Amino acid sequence: MASNSSSHTHEHHIVSTGTYLLTLGALVVLMGLTVAIAQVNLPAIGILSGTVVNQLVALLIATIKALLVICVFMGVKWGTTLTKLWVIAGFVTLPLLFGILGDYCTRKYEQQPGWEKIEDGALPRISYENPAKPPADSSELNVKIRQ
Amino acid sequence: MSAITETSDHGHGHHPGLHHQYEDMAQQTESYIVGMWVFLTTEIMFFGALFFIYTLYRWNYQLDFYIAHEHLDWKLGAFNTTVLLFSSFTMVMAVQSAQLKKRIAVMNYLGVTVLCAITFLVVKYFEYSSKFADHLYPGVNFATDAKAAFGEHAFEAGKLAVNMNHAQLFYGLYFCMTGLHAIHIIVGIGIIIALIRLWFNKANSVIHDYVPTEMVGLYWHFVDLVWIFLFPLFYLMPKPH
Repeated sequence: MASNSSSHTHEHHIVSTGTYLLTLGALVVLMGLTVAIAQVNLPAIGILSGTVVNQLVALLIATIKALLVICVFMGVKWGTTLTKLWVIAGFVTLPLLFGILGDYCTRKYEQQPGWEKIEDGALPRISYENPAKPPADSSELNVKIRQ
Repeated sequence: MSAITETSDHGHGHHPGLHHQYEDMAQQTESYIVGMWVFLTTEIMFFGALFFIYTLYRWNYQLDFYIAHEHLDWKLGAFNTTVLLFSSFTMVMAVQSAQLKKRIAVMNYLGVTVLCAITFLVVKYFEYSSKFADHLYPGVNFATDAKAAFGEHAFEAGKLAVNMNHAQLFYGLYFCMTGLHAIHIIVGIGIIIALIRLWFNKANSVIHDYVPTEMVGLYWHFVDLVWIFLFPLFYLMPKPH
């Protein structure tokens, strides 16, 4: 039996139309702002190049928009604590996933026998250079043919 | 015990929308909403993996992705963003009308939401068509006419300056991510139409309780949420400088 505190009013929070309209306005303005900022080249800050700064600003604006949608439109602002917990848990999965980037950044590319890296990518070279001519030996392929 | 008492004393303070396994409406509502968020968590992970792949290759092949992205028209993207944001607004108004038990208003707002969703898909159809026309889908014939596809600035002194494998990767991601999003829009249209039908038929499942309408709303806002990130990442790529 849960706490019977709320004296059994089924009154749920009804948000005014004005709040929703204001949120919509803010979202559209923020969208315009992203488009405007994408047209200018922002300066580099410290170790971050201008491109990265531009992209980070665009993502920051997208995050603000996302927060507006989650808090107001999805009603999480007026939701119960358990709801809020699940919302946060849902988004915690993202930083965990993006943690894998740390592996890509720091791990040295290790050559595996038969899977040596070449410049042009993973497809066999014949498909680009001379499709008609079959490879004379395995050195013309990106990967070594297994014996 | 509550199940027995509930069935035997109708009109005795019990909410008509309350199902027998719940104590009260507050508990039922919380279960519904939390359940929906559990589903949305799986969706976040689903799209998250694609965003991760995008981040990784965008980081590695910045310039090629930039040149490849210039085929996309940010004006169409911005138009579609506005349409989706507006549809989120009409959706939330449908939920508010459901709370206030204004049946006709609910159906009208849901109808406008469906129209917005269809508008979005029509724009997407024209965008995809222009990509197909220039062979910008991954495969052996990818961008057979690079000049038509990417324009003059893909060339440096007459030589192609964009790595076609990387450009192909960009369009692979473009079609996967916007395509998966479009599938969600199509599913959303189906769900909203089903909801309109329930309201039209005055089904007990929706007229006594606003939460089923709210749950469709949560799904719809999530689709909007994904697009909020897709738009700057695909259409508004900053020029490498």
